[in-house]
Amino acid sequence: MVATLLGILAQIEQAPFVRPAIDWHAVAPELVLLAGGALVTVFDLIFMERGRKYIPTLTGLTFLAALVPVLTLWDNGIARSLFDGAYITDRYALVLKALFLLSGYVIVLMSTNYMAEGDYYDSEYYQLISASILGMLVMASSRDLIGIFVALELISIPAYLMAAWRKRDLKSNEAGLKYMLMGVFASAIMLYGMSLLYGLTGDTKLRSISSAIADQGTTPIITMAIIFVIIGFGFKVSAVPFHTWAPDTYEGAPTPLTAFLAVASKAAGFVALMNVVLYAFEFQPEIAEPFIWLLSAATMTVGNLIAIRQTNVVRLLAYSGVAQAGYMLAPLAVYEVNGIEASASAVVTYLVIYAAMNLGAFAVIMAAARRTRSGEIDSYRGMLNWAPGLTVLMTIFLFSLAGIPPFGGWFAKFEVFRVLLTGNTFSGVSLAVIAAVNSVVAAFYYLNIMKNMWFMDAPEGTDQSKLKIPSPLVAALAITLIVTLVTGTVLAGPLRNATDFLAF
Amino acid sequence: MGNVAEVIVFLISGAIVLGGGLGVILNRNPVHAALSLIASFFGVAVLFISQEAHFLAFVQVVVYGGAIVVLFLFVIMLLGVDRAEQVRVEQLSMQRPLAIVTGVMLFGLAMGGLFLSGPGGEEGAVAATGQQSAMVPIDETEPNVRQLGLDLFTRNVLAFEATAILLTIATVGAVVLVRNEGAEDLVVDEPGTSIG
Amino acid sequence: MLLNQFLGLAAILFCIGVYGVLTRRNGVMVLMSIELILNAVNINLVAFGAYQGDVGGQVFALFVIAVAAAEVGVGLAIVLLIYRNRRSIDVSEADLLQG
Repeated sequence: MVATLLGILAQIEQAPFVRPAIDWHAVAPELVLLAGGALVTVFDLIFMERGRKYIPTLTGLTFLAALVPVLTLWDNGIARSLFDGAYITDRYALVLKALFLLSGYVIVLMSTNYMAEGDYYDSEYYQLISASILGMLVMASSRDLIGIFVALELISIPAYLMAAWRKRDLKSNEAGLKYMLMGVFASAIMLYGMSLLYGLTGDTKLRSISSAIADQGTTPIITMAIIFVIIGFGFKVSAVPFHTWAPDTYEGAPTPLTAFLAVASKAAGFVALMNVVLYAFEFQPEIAEPFIWLLSAATMTVGNLIAIRQTNVVRLLAYSGVAQAGYMLAPLAVYEVNGIEASASAVVTYLVIYAAMNLGAFAVIMAAARRTRSGEIDSYRGMLNWAPGLTVLMTIFLFSLAGIPPFGGWFAKFEVFRVLLTGNTFSGVSLAVIAAVNSVVAAFYYLNIMKNMWFMDAPEGTDQSKLKIPSPLVAALAITLIVTLVTGTVLAGPLRNATDFLAF
Repeated sequence: MGNVAEVIVFLISGAIVLGGGLGVILNRNPVHAALSLIASFFGVAVLFISQEAHFLAFVQVVVYGGAIVVLFLFVIMLLGVDRAEQVRVEQLSMQRPLAIVTGVMLFGLAMGGLFLSGPGGEEGAVAATGQQSAMVPIDETEPNVRQLGLDLFTRNVLAFEATAILLTIATVGAVVLVRNEGAEDLVVDEPGTSIG
Repeated sequence: MLLNQFLGLAAILFCIGVYGVLTRRNGVMVLMSIELILNAVNINLVAFGAYQGDVGGQVFALFVIAVAAAEVGVGLAIVLLIYRNRRSIDVSEADLLQG
């Protein structure tokens, strides 16, 4: 016994632990966010109730501070690789990190008044948001199955908790439970696929997996692994038929969190899907492409058909978000012909613009709900009278979501169609046709909301005085409006150049 | 000789794993289901030892058997055994036949995937799955824990730190969520306030 | 022993877990079924790790165990919350009837 212990000790002395080399600049955004989150927690513990009202501002500043190293890294321009390619900070990852940090900032702005006015535990709420955004930053750079899995859970677990954050409301609790059970089930299925991928290739790094399965060729077990992994991510991006959690969760959760789930969390799911499909399954398009084609076509069609029937704006945006996920999946169904860079670029462009216009629409809904206290479309009647500014903003965001020029959504759709039609393949063209038909269908229900706002009279007894919007919400509206406007016009070209630069 | 022992260990622990699993999904009483879950976890731990993953077997017993199942039992007892049935998920549940079809289809898919992949040649090019499973430690010169630790703190140090944050934040969130505010009445919010 | 036998066992356990998730109507039981799936994943990872002669599979399994613990903690917290709110509703309704 003693001899074995001594033997073990001797071995430890023989081979001392070598600290892995870490490029601190490459992980600086994550570290800044982590340090900022810790400082906000300490601030909260010192000042308790007196400091409560500064917490959202400080959290927002933390997100902006984490943006600084992202910019210096962008300026530096070198793709950095850590841990033998398991963690890569290239421009693709940096665009996404900037997107996550900015959407996080806008969501904090949207939450400020909502959380302060309701009966919530607000400082913990902001810590959960920070943790979730941190997971997204890690996700953008992870090129390793373990890293992707851990990042996905770091994104999701705070989101499960926040979905149930309206503690006294059974609807919110059930939203949290349903989201949690579906999410955990999805990650379990994804893990089963990942375990097969690991086993067949002997490595967890996506690049090694890619070359190993290219050597082995397509066997049934690899097909199964790929399909399980894509199904797992399908839940996260609410692709049909794995979307059933989305509308109920969106309706029950606190509204800022709904925006968070519909935008940031969905974008993170797409990033995970893109990393795995484009890196690891690069040479298996014959399995991944048809499966994603089916998911994409079903997602946009079903999402739109159900969205038409909705009478509640939040549910309508939830289903329209499902349909939008279908458009975003489309470029991934044709990555073989165009090359993975073109597909990734189209998806990233769509994600950036979608984040701006959808967050904007949610900000309008939150501002309007301060008066209407309801999410029904009927309650938006006559909004022109008591909130003309909001009406115009909502119109811009809805036009953008419908893909009408010159707003951002138009350029996003244009990029998707460009990728779909470039190869002139049957699958690409047919998917483009389905997407085009769906865009027309979607325009109907977006126009229906506008009709209510512009042309219908307000119901009797509505307060007709002008609505006052708190300043954080105004700031959120301004940011999303500017991004929606510039991405469709002056910045469309530069945005394409930036995303074309994605160094895979 | 050793081979026979391996087969016997595999058969017995495999039977315990599957028996426990069936117990979880077939028992109506949640407490019995949780106890079946423990049995299944122990069977998995034995399988881990037979694969020379000693540290993992230890973690399996301590974390799953010791922490997770105890947590399950604690919550079931807190809710009351008969009441635990009331915490239902409406939309998630589907028709039992549909579930059977899904289960059988998945099973067929999994088995087909495993065995249609062919027996695999010496090179293992076609499929790994028909290969001889390894029964020796991965590296006999070093203890299992040390190998795990080295891998954890070199290749996966970032994921390790992320997991640390994840566990912290999950604890904070769970505590805030179930915290009971003194003697306050639990009032249900008015409908419609989820907006705004 | 063939690797197939371990993978087959894991596949059966996986299917049992999926069946449990789809049929059980109770949140706690669904969580238990998900634990079964995660154990199937761990069997796979450890068997593959031993086969590949790589410690990475065991490390992956370690991460799965740690994250599963967090998931169960969060899940049971939400279940507890729902139960508490449901009970409070029942109680308040009973009070109304008595008044």
